[in-house]
This record gives sequence, structure tokens and C-alpha cells, in this order.
Amino acid sequence: MTRAGNALRLAALDARALGEGLVSGMTLADARARCPDLLTRPADPEADARELEWLAERMRRFTPMVALDPPDGLLLDISGCAHLFGGEAALVRQVRGHAGYASHVGLGPNAMAARALARHGRGQDRGQGADVTTLPVAALDLEDGALAALRRAGLRTIGDLARRPMAMIAARFGAQAVARLRQILGEASSPLDPRRPAEPIRADARFPEPIARTDDVMDVIEGLLAQAAEQMEARHLGGRRFLVRLVRSDGARRDLAIETGQPVRDPAAVMRLLRERIDTLADPIDPGFGFDAVQLAVPHTEPLVERQRTLEGGAQAHRQEGVVALIDRLGIRIGRDRVRRIAPCDRHLPEAAQRLVPAAQVQAQASWNTDESRPPRPLLLLDPPQSVDVIAGVPDGPPLRFRWRGQLHEVRLAEGPERIAAEWWRRREGHQPGGAGRTRDYYRIEDGEGRRYWMFRHGLFGEEADIRWYLHGLFP
Amino acid sequence: MDVTVPPQGGRPPGRSASPFPATPPLLEQGQLHEVHCRAQDRAAAFAFALTRGQWARDGDLFLLRVPGKSRLPFCFSGEGLALLGLEPQRLTIVEPASEIGLLRAALDAARCPGVAAVLMDSEGRFADYDLTASRRLVLAAEASRACVLLLRVEAEPRASAAQTRWSISSAPSVPLAADAPGWPAIDAQLLRRRGGPAAGPWRLIWDAEHGRFEDADRRAAMPGAVVPLPSLRTDTADGPGQRHVA
Repeated sequence: MTRAGNALRLAALDARALGEGLVSGMTLADARARCPDLLTRPADPEADARELEWLAERMRRFTPMVALDPPDGLLLDISGCAHLFGGEAALVRQVRGHAGYASHVGLGPNAMAARALARHGRGQDRGQGADVTTLPVAALDLEDGALAALRRAGLRTIGDLARRPMAMIAARFGAQAVARLRQILGEASSPLDPRRPAEPIRADARFPEPIARTDDVMDVIEGLLAQAAEQMEARHLGGRRFLVRLVRSDGARRDLAIETGQPVRDPAAVMRLLRERIDTLADPIDPGFGFDAVQLAVPHTEPLVERQRTLEGGAQAHRQEGVVALIDRLGIRIGRDRVRRIAPCDRHLPEAAQRLVPAAQVQAQASWNTDESRPPRPLLLLDPPQSVDVIAGVPDGPPLRFRWRGQLHEVRLAEGPERIAAEWWRRREGHQPGGAGRTRDYYRIEDGEGRRYWMFRHGLFGEEADIRWYLHGLFP
Repeated sequence: MDVTVPPQGGRPPGRSASPFPATPPLLEQGQLHEVHCRAQDRAAAFAFALTRGQWARDGDLFLLRVPGKSRLPFCFSGEGLALLGLEPQRLTIVEPASEIGLLRAALDAARCPGVAAVLMDSEGRFADYDLTASRRLVLAAEASRACVLLLRVEAEPRASAAQTRWSISSAPSVPLAADAPGWPAIDAQLLRRRGGPAAGPWRLIWDAEHGRFEDADRRAAMPGAVVPLPSLRTDTADGPGQRHVA
């Protein structure tokens, strides 16, 4: 369902909807009138495009020449591939099964003919040997004006059109009609533009005799990293994930994987991270009788922009790289989710107004709320808020005395209340009275010994039966 | 100015008797500083360490703590940090699993050239922090010019190579209008200082206008202050038996 102009129109339908008589392009109101219990979802063209690309990758097992035919088709060149799968009919069956979607498959001597047969052919006419000339003229995919003109002229099928002289068709219906017609008939070429898979970045080393010393193996790995760095430099890429596979002489394999926050190419940096990973392995690498081969692969790469090292910016860039490398190292040693930064969230509950994200993730410039008119926030937040026993004036007076962790505190100064309501829009019945959740009244208080606390009353008197107080933060 | 000479002839300990008390020294970069406090004054100690530390505010700050060690489950509030004049996006929180890991990570961070300040938060005895560990931290700090701060909550002071050792506690604030708690106030005492005498205690009050902690006595003494008289010698230096002029 998409929005076209002012109306919501149907963009894509499944088989049952087609059976009910709905067509693509019909407005939602008409469709609902025909079929009251219609289920709809907003159209997502980007997800469709991604899905089509994924499908193209899957079709690669049948032929290396796969091209996209947006928005919902694929073109496969199977010349020379059919006999590997047991004939063309068997190939078509396997393609259908592999695609996983209900699909129309058309076979033809050239790309445009196959496409036309798939989209506009009927039933068994789609197979090999189907006659293109029996297809309707809509298969030419012309504009509506040219199509209407063709119909008015009484030309229904492509065969009718093919019998007329080309010059006349060009004069009356445009040059595009002629070009498409010739492509379908096979007189003009319609080449495919296949998507080529990116070559993976790999480097291997095999030894004539097994190597048992770990230091020598590390040297070899450093050499492989240099080779991979050359490949990546040629393509302006940097690696985010590196995989080292050590193959022992008795066949056992050991994999070491490292991930980085930013794409890197430098072999020395990756070696440092690799040494950290080896130090933190649960069971150390056992060479046995020696390693026969070492394989290095870089499965995840990203574009790496070479920074221009200017004179004044050089030191700053060097410092930034140092910090990024430090974060990577610490992440590998103690875990990536233990090295974090604070990021703001656009919510007004204090515990939800920020969250901790792994420091290795690239983050956009955060904007913190430093509103002067709002009461100040404490330096330390208690997570979860600690329950305290409070004596306070009813109904909304500040605390007079409170007990926390067995100690009694007398309140000397207090400011408040700052009312923070619950997020009613996040609850199922939040818009109904009473379903929104408890409002909090925050107070900034100072006790007799000079310590400042941030406390809130959970719930309002008169609305809730039991009112509890919680300590949420500590001020300096 | 009156200079009193005790009978033994030694130098008077503590601060010199001048009209203005010595200001609490800032936490210099390239050095290691220890801050001791009680568990309930942790927020004050953090505020002291974060604001009195000398480092470029556009550099990265690393905070290291062992999550299981603290009896109070707390985390930093970005807005609270912003109120103290720090940028929350410059802070990286590292949480190793053990105290040895904490020291190792702190050493790595202190050696990194891009790190401006390293703040460690420890609670309890912290047995792994001995003279050798502190010496390593000092060397790393001197090499990279980072400011290394160690917060020791509920701990006894131990011999270390730190430049300064402080004891921090929260102090009653000056109330604002309508009995509201005022700006943060801290009692700071310099317990030990390398190459200088111990001093304090000072009452530090947050100055919102300048965004820093100011010595309370100095603030009170500012208006109408008189420039001190230089020590006058009416006699020329002609041997012992000089008279002291007040």
C-alpha cells in the first residue's frame, strides 16, 4: 500500500487478493469496499530492493550471469548451464523452488523475449519454443499513449506489429516501439548487465615443512597481512573483521577472529590486536607437530578514506587514531560491551534519557540537553532507584526526614517538586485515565551533613493507594 | 608582617601566616593524584577530581571501574557532567572484570598519546595497588602528559608515588531563595604532597559563573581586599641582631 497523490493505493497483492478481484493501483477505499477484511502494510521499496539483490545472489548457483530487472524481476543467462541441472525444464523447476516466492518464469532466445514471456505470457506458452508473436502488445512496455494508439490501430499482438514495415511503425508510434520490437524479435541485441560478485580479500601461505614455533607463525601472519593490505589498498578498502585460520599437520584447524571499530589496513595495528586475542584465549594454541598452512581472510570490509596528513591536523589525527586503537585493544581484552560511551536519547524519563553504547561504534555528534531553566540533574544516577522511607508533608510537600540504608537523615533544605509524568504513549491503555502509569515528583534535598540527594515520590496522593519514595541520584 | 621564631629555631610547619590562605593546588597533568573519600561523598569526590584536574577539555577522558566492587549501583548522567562543564561524548567508560584488569587498562590508557585524563574508581582495600603499580602509572603519565586520577572510596591511605593525596567530603551549601539547596560545596584537605607541605582544609564552593570550584575564603576576602605590605627592613643587613619590623 503506498501513497500516490492524495489517495492510498495498493502497490502489491498476494494470490488471494488477486483471486478476489483486486488489482494493483486500485485505491484502498475501493479495495476495502470489495473485500472488507483486507490486511494491509505500508510498502517498503528499499526492503524490496534489498530482497531482490539477495535473491540475485542466490540465483548465482545456476549461472554467473545474473542481472536485476527492477522492481521485481531477475534475468538469468542460462546458455550452456542447462545440461548441468538436467535440462531446461528441470532447471526451471529448481529455480522456482530455490527462489521461494511465487514466480513466473519465461524462457526465450534473448533477454527481452524471455522477459516479455515471463511478464505477459500465459500458462504453458511460457516454455521453450513459445512464440513471441502471440504476446499482446503490452509486452513492449511502452507508454500509455503509444499503447492506446496501437490498440486504436487494431494491432493486438506482437505478430501483427511485426508484419508491418518498420519505418511506418517508427513514424506513427515512435522510435522506442521499433527498438523494443526488434529486441524482442531478436533482430537487435539486448545484452545483460550482470552483477559481478566482489572478489574476497584473501592471502594464503603453505609451508613445505610444518612450522612449530609460534613466533615464526606470527611473522608469517604479518606477511599475509601485508599482502591483504596491498589488495585492500588497491580497492580503497579497510578491514573490519579479520579471520586467521591455522591448519595443523594432523588436520586440526584453529580460527582466530578479530573485529575493529574502524576499518584498518595497517598490518602492525592488526598484529597488536591479534596478540591481544591470543593472550585472552581460553585454551592456548597448541602447535602439535607444526602448522602446515596459514590462511588469512578479510570477510567484512568497508571503504577506508586515506586522510590527508596536513601539518597542523597531523597531531590531532594521530591522537584520535591512538584513542581508537586503544578502544579496540581494550575491547578485545575485556569485551566490546564493556567499553562504552554515553549517548543521549530523546526521552524525558531520567533513566531513559541516556544509554550506553559500545565505544567502537561510530556515533553521530550527540546533542545534550543543557536547558538552563530546567532544574539541574545529579552527577550520579542510581540504577535502579533505591527505596527509602520518607516522612513528608501530605499531599505534595518535600521530605522532612528519611531513612536510607539504616541511617536517618534530617532534611535541611529542599527544592521541588519537579513533576515528570510517565510515558503514557508507550502503554497499551495509556490514553485511558488511570492507565498511564505513575507520575513522579522529584525533589532536590540537602541533609544536615551537607549531602545533596535527588529523590522522587512515585505516584500522587489521591490517585494511588500506596505511595513510595525512591532515591534516584546524588549531587556533588 | 610578623614572623614568629620558635625557641628551637626551626621553620614553622603548615601554611605560612599570611592574610590570604594558600589556595588549594590544582591537579596537574602528567602526574598521579589520589582522592580519598567516604562512600556517601562519592559524588563530591568525582566532581572535585573532574573539575580540578588540569587537562585540555577537548581531549578524551577515560573512566575505569570494576562494576561488581561498588556497593551502590550508580552510573554517570550525561546532563550532570555537562553541568560541571565537561562534554559527555568525550567520556569513555571502561569496566574490566577485576582490579588487576583495572590497573592494566589504566596503564594502557595512560600510555596512549590521545588520552587527556584517566580516572580510576576503586572501593575498598584495592590490594593490587601498591608502590610499584603507582610508580608505573606515574611514569606513564609523565611520558604522555595525561592526568591520572585515582578515586579511593572507603580506603586507608597507602604509601604510593602519587603527587598529591586528597581527602574530600561534601559540605553544607549556601541556601538559595526559598530554602533551596545551593551550589555544590566541598571540604577538601590535602593530606600529602610530594615536594611540599600538607595543607587544608579548604571549603570549595561551585562558582556557576566561571564553571569551577572556588575557595570560599578567597571569595569572601575578595571585595575590599588590601594589598599586603612588603616586608620592610629599615636596617641594612649588618650582621646578627637585626630587629624585625612589624
